[in-house]
Amino acid sequence: MAGNFWQSSHYQQWVLDKQDLIRERQQDLSVLSDEEYQKIFIFFSNFIQTLGEQLKLRQQVIATATVYFKRFYARNSLKCIDPLLLAPTCIFLASKVEEFGVISNSRLITTCQTVVKNKFSYAYTQEFPYRTNHILECEFYLLENLDCCLIVYQPYRPLLQLLADIGNEDQLLALAWRVVNDSLRTDVCLLYPPYQIAIGSLHIACVVLQKDLKSWFAELNVDMEKIQEIVRYIVSLFELWKTYDEKKDIQALLAKMPKPKTQPSR
Amino acid sequence: MEYKLEDKWRRYEKIEFLGEGQFATVYKAKDIETDIIVAVKKIKVGSKAEARDGINRTALREIKLLQELKHTNIIGLLDVFGYKSNVSLVFDFMDTDLEVIVKDTTIVLSPAHVKKYTLMTLLGLEYLHDNWILHRDLKPNNLLINSEGILKIGDFGLAKFYGSPNRIYTHQVVTRWYRSPELLFGARMYSTGVDMWAVGCIIAELLLRVPFLPGESDLDQLTRIFHTLGTPNETTWPGMTSLQDYIQFKTFPGTSLKDIFTAAGDDLLDLLQSLLTINPLKRITCTQALQMPYFSNKPAPSPGSLLPLPSSLVPTLVKPGSKRKLIESQTGAILPKRLQFDTSM
Repeated sequence: MAGNFWQSSHYQQWVLDKQDLIRERQQDLSVLSDEEYQKIFIFFSNFIQTLGEQLKLRQQVIATATVYFKRFYARNSLKCIDPLLLAPTCIFLASKVEEFGVISNSRLITTCQTVVKNKFSYAYTQEFPYRTNHILECEFYLLENLDCCLIVYQPYRPLLQLLADIGNEDQLLALAWRVVNDSLRTDVCLLYPPYQIAIGSLHIACVVLQKDLKSWFAELNVDMEKIQEIVRYIVSLFELWKTYDEKKDIQALLAKMPKPKTQPSR
Repeated sequence: MEYKLEDKWRRYEKIEFLGEGQFATVYKAKDIETDIIVAVKKIKVGSKAEARDGINRTALREIKLLQELKHTNIIGLLDVFGYKSNVSLVFDFMDTDLEVIVKDTTIVLSPAHVKKYTLMTLLGLEYLHDNWILHRDLKPNNLLINSEGILKIGDFGLAKFYGSPNRIYTHQVVTRWYRSPELLFGARMYSTGVDMWAVGCIIAELLLRVPFLPGESDLDQLTRIFHTLGTPNETTWPGMTSLQDYIQFKTFPGTSLKDIFTAAGDDLLDLLQSLLTINPLKRITCTQALQMPYFSNKPAPSPGSLLPLPSSLVPTLVKPGSKRKLIESQTGAILPKRLQFDTSM
């Protein structure tokens, strides 16, 4: 992605305040605990990732779709639209915005059906209920709730630039890249600019690989407090993963989740 | 899902039909919340297959780019509304465009006017290029002008980010008459030069009052370019012969720009020469162009309020003629009449 981040809609309108985010979620958090809410979003990030990989999309498109998804629910209750419908809609819109190949609506629906059946049967016992018509209806609603801000900056490019400065460290890059992917399962993409997420992910990768880059980090002109906050978000995700068995728990969580009043007819 | 569509439609009160293009219908409307006059561009839904594709891709491109861009000389996207594939975009209302002005034979364009149009175009384009965006469809029709004399670059349906080496671009962009030689030779990797070439053709058209290189086919377009500016070779344009659609042309010596634009000053001819450079790597950038003497030399660019408007738009209360002549006699501007461009030269 190109352009000027500091003048972008991403920086000016979509780096949210944590207190605002908590306030917006009040309705859902009266039904779900913080942790349950996070688990639901981890599940749907996984769903978007799997769907994207199945459609052979680039990680950039998948990441953009995930951010759209999170931005939508940063302002709306889960009751507003079934996330199972919003997730493929985000993929559909992101693939058009990023202009990498065309996915037809019918291929999207078929892939959703296959993915739900083959990979997420532990969550959904029935087949994927939505059709082209639902996606199209949802697409505009999504666009509107994003305030037409479609260009999302991702941590991947700043990460590559930072690595180029450190010197080519393939192992470090590969791990930090995966940490950035994992960060999409937390709220950091809503709360911090992508370059800070890149630095936070790099920090974690260094700790895991026991690489001492203290002096390099010290020379970065960034607010280390923010970086530490990002690190804490991601590390707490890792902590959660240690004890959490999605396959076992997700059905109950999805049943508990606030839902739209009307369900599509099958 | 409750929907706010009804409210949105009601917000814009249709005043009149403005025009119809391939992809959209445009209306003049009043925003009843702010009382501001706007242009509503309603994207057409063509075939059933298109409707299944959801929000039109061209419209989406305009939305995503214009949402990030804020500049006096770039059209402002004010709102978006619609339902499913029916998308409408709300833009700044612009009274006219440069094509209308160029074609209006009752309008006399002074050197100060030409300088002002050129300046505003380059400032808007510099901002775009600084943001790594290529417009790819610059032509007089897409340079919109309002009654205050502010020019804004419009129609971002073909615009695209540039600079990523892995991106292959289509060469089927830019209306033919404003298409650069590298695009006509089928280049798939190109840059800001395609927009700069178009600016050169537009300035030439402001001077001649007819399209500078009105090719009837892609081949004819190249013939006209080389006939007018001279045929390039591997020395003047290294790499040219390996372009996908390269074909050899007769060697034309080209005509001196001085003989074509007889009324233009040397500083303007220098600018034109730098924009209409056949080798895209040697072509000037916006920032370089804006630093050329032409813009600091006399006459100063005309104030926006003194730019001409088509006769149909001139407010009847003001007599535009007298005041303008006075200013021009003060700045010493000369008024060129329509120049004849003889292609057989």
